[in-house]
Amino acid sequence: MADGKADKEHVHNRIAVLRAERGVSRRELATALGVHYQTIGYLERGEYSPSLHLALRIAAFFEVPVEVVFSLAPFPRLGST
Amino acid sequence: MTPEGGETGMWERWTRRREEVLQSDLLPSWYATRRRRRALAGAGLAGLAMIWAGTVVSWNLAPSDTAMWVTISLLAVSVLTTIPVVAALNVATRGTTSLAESRLDERQVAERLRAFTVAHRVMLAVLVAVVAGVLAADTDHVPMAAVVVGVVALFETHMLLPVLVAGWRLPDPPPDDEDDDDENDR
Repeated sequence: MADGKADKEHVHNRIAVLRAERGVSRRELATALGVHYQTIGYLERGEYSPSLHLALRIAAFFEVPVEVVFSLAPFPRLGST
Repeated sequence: MTPEGGETGMWERWTRRREEVLQSDLLPSWYATRRRRRALAGAGLAGLAMIWAGTVVSWNLAPSDTAMWVTISLLAVSVLTTIPVVAALNVATRGTTSLAESRLDERQVAERLRAFTVAHRVMLAVLVAVVAGVLAADTDHVPMAAVVVGVVALFETHMLLPVLVAGWRLPDPPPDDEDDDDENDR
């Protein structure tokens, strides 16, 4: 039941891709956002879904709209379209 | 809060030092895997159980030399067990249950709330068990030693349960960037 709820509320993100693309380390991103560096890791692994406030700040950091970083549906793999 | 701010400065330095220690990888092999963290939490629970055992011994045998020495031995083993366990779990959880909420980020605050909620429920079960035990026992003559050790057991259980629960629940943390770099260098 709990797992089903977790699956239903899972938010997919592209933080790892954006971070790699911009050459930003987890610690640098964490410092910029004022969170613990492990939180970035948990976000990237999909084990933690951020608050709306943190999601907007992550999008602002990468200077992209929030839907570029977060999605309720899995992001398409590169080259799959 | 002295006019010169000396006390505030000392408190600030103490808090910062604590944060530094909690962010350091002190004895990482102790809590590297979930199995080891759960073993630590189990050892912490065993340490708490020893104080409760001391209460039962005092209740049934005090006042006597046997009760005194058995209780002191149990308390000593409990202290020697729980201090390193709590220190290791505090570092593993990065102070999620011990630092002020203002020093934590939103994920850590959520974890802290879950740990306190579970600990609260467990503590309620402990209190019910204690009341049931006292009602079932002979209460004509209750040794003062048993009351004192019992109160210590209640305080210790209440204080340590959140960090034990947080350590038990903690998923494996993601590898650090520096670890990734080390892997790539090899």
